[in-house]
Amino acid sequence: MTTLMERRRPAAEAAPLRPEFRSGFAPLAGAAVLLTLTVALAVPAESWQGGWAETRDRTHAAAVLLGIPLSLAAGCWQGGRERRRGTGDLLETAVRGALPRFLASAVPVAVWVAVGHLLAAGCALLATWYCATGDSPYLVVPLGDSLLLGCAALAGQVVGRAVPWRLAAPVLATAGYAVLGFLSYDHDNAWSALSPLTDASADRMPVWWQPWVSVVWVGGLAAAAVLFLTARRRAVALVPLACATAAAVLLVGADGLTRPAPVAGRQVCDTSTTPQVCVNARYERLLPQIAEALSGLTGRLEGVDHVPVRFEDRRGRPRADEAELPMVTPLGWSVVRGKLTEPGQYAWEAGMALFSRADCDDTEPAVARADAAVEHYLAPSPQEKYFDELDARGSAADRAALKDRQRARARLLGMAQDERRVWLSEYFATAGDCDPSGVPTL
Amino acid sequence: MTSTGIVLYARSRALPQTVAALAATTVLAVWATHSLDSYLDPERRVPVVALAPLVAATAIGSSLHSASEELDRTAVRPWWRRRLTHLLCLTALAAALLPLAVLSSAQIFGPPAMVRNVLGCTGLTAGAAVVLGARLSWLPVFGYVSAMYMGVSGLRGTSLPAWAWLLEPGAGGGAWATAAVLFALGGGAYAVKGARGTP
Repeated sequence: MTTLMERRRPAAEAAPLRPEFRSGFAPLAGAAVLLTLTVALAVPAESWQGGWAETRDRTHAAAVLLGIPLSLAAGCWQGGRERRRGTGDLLETAVRGALPRFLASAVPVAVWVAVGHLLAAGCALLATWYCATGDSPYLVVPLGDSLLLGCAALAGQVVGRAVPWRLAAPVLATAGYAVLGFLSYDHDNAWSALSPLTDASADRMPVWWQPWVSVVWVGGLAAAAVLFLTARRRAVALVPLACATAAAVLLVGADGLTRPAPVAGRQVCDTSTTPQVCVNARYERLLPQIAEALSGLTGRLEGVDHVPVRFEDRRGRPRADEAELPMVTPLGWSVVRGKLTEPGQYAWEAGMALFSRADCDDTEPAVARADAAVEHYLAPSPQEKYFDELDARGSAADRAALKDRQRARARLLGMAQDERRVWLSEYFATAGDCDPSGVPTL
Repeated sequence: MTSTGIVLYARSRALPQTVAALAATTVLAVWATHSLDSYLDPERRVPVVALAPLVAATAIGSSLHSASEELDRTAVRPWWRRRLTHLLCLTALAAALLPLAVLSSAQIFGPPAMVRNVLGCTGLTAGAAVVLGARLSWLPVFGYVSAMYMGVSGLRGTSLPAWAWLLEPGAGGGAWATAAVLFALGGGAYAVKGARGTP
């Protein structure tokens, strides 16, 4: 007899939680979070896949703006379960207190929505891992987001218990969406620090404590609501409320919740070319592709004087002896899944960064001809042929300008190698000058 | 005692509350459009054109719940006409009210887009009511609207694929066709089978 009771006890203790975890609404809520976040991330995958910082920011934004409202709704729905089933009175007769009863139905939903988010974030990290361009994965932000979603589910459950309205869950979710949108809309607003959504651009990262303090802020509010609803002494709810208030004060009073990412300030360079090619360390694995795309241009500048020392890829304007490398960000345009999409266009943009008279009020026709010939020689634009054809069908003036351009191109191409090197050295000595007197003509 | 069957039906399906919810959604949508300064840029109406039909559809979806579903099935009269009338009337009401929030420009996220989204969201909700039950019918449409709202903003190009009908700015034929098919399928399934019985 004793043996039988001893055998049954573990099963009886595990009984309330196991069915809650394995069946009912909790797994469905986790699946809904997973599906929603996966679709929201997969549709614009080109804009983040390949960059760890972009993946972090996109996953974080999806988790906060979509995951939190959905978790609130899921918790709220679960909270109204006993009312819908008419089993509230029966549950009141249970031996266990209000808090264990609450947690038995709330924790499975909180855990499942957190697991749903973790799986979606894991899929996003895997999607970036196979085509990562540099940098390293950021794991703290998704972990913090999972906790935030769990806390939101607990808070939602409190609302579900307290509000007997059949539209409570979707309206709570929509309200959550509106509040988060309002707090995150203007990041200059002091209250925006209370939004768990950080305003991190790809070359910045949240300070180390921000995700955890955000969890304390949201979790403290959720815990206070839970204890206020279920604890025998409601004053206990003041403890998590005090923690949440302290976290909120810390967030609002902090001097910036993000800092520059150290990796974004570094560059990796290929010093074997003229000019040297430097790529931001965040995209260091793109260096071979970029050097290959620019190989034609750098090969033609071998031995030419007065060209910039290197293409640089840091924040801000280039130094006097440097030219700016064409942007690879935002991802999804010139770089998709770790690959340069249009090397020809990229090389042309790099060539155009070496000389520019965009700031000049007026450009002499002879100087414009020389610029166009150098542009054609270094790395012609993929659209060059199209514009040539357009001019060929245009007015007499257009046709004459085209003929001049073609003649200048032919002259530059027809020079002997040494002669062309000398001419290009003279040309680059005046690149960017608005005074046409020093620019060599063709 | 003096109440007719129609009035009893309306009360049992919480129709007065649903109509009030639709009216409140309209007022909120008008206020949101105004406070977003959408006259500067019609694109600013995207949250309203996406979220207002979502709230309206969840209100309509929850009104499809019956407290006595098993008893209803024993009735002699066919239910499909009432179900269809119920769904069509509420959808028509939402489609008439919500465009009031976006009257200023018809081309980009204007009344046609709002009506299309009401149809599509209501169709999804009615279909979900058949599968999941009326009370939980908001879940799939909420997930869809959330995912589209965030995901489609990163799509390149001017014309969106058919599955992104919710955020097609103009009165594109593909988006309308998808929304109409969703409404026909979801509404048809609900009229024939009714909402799944849930406690």
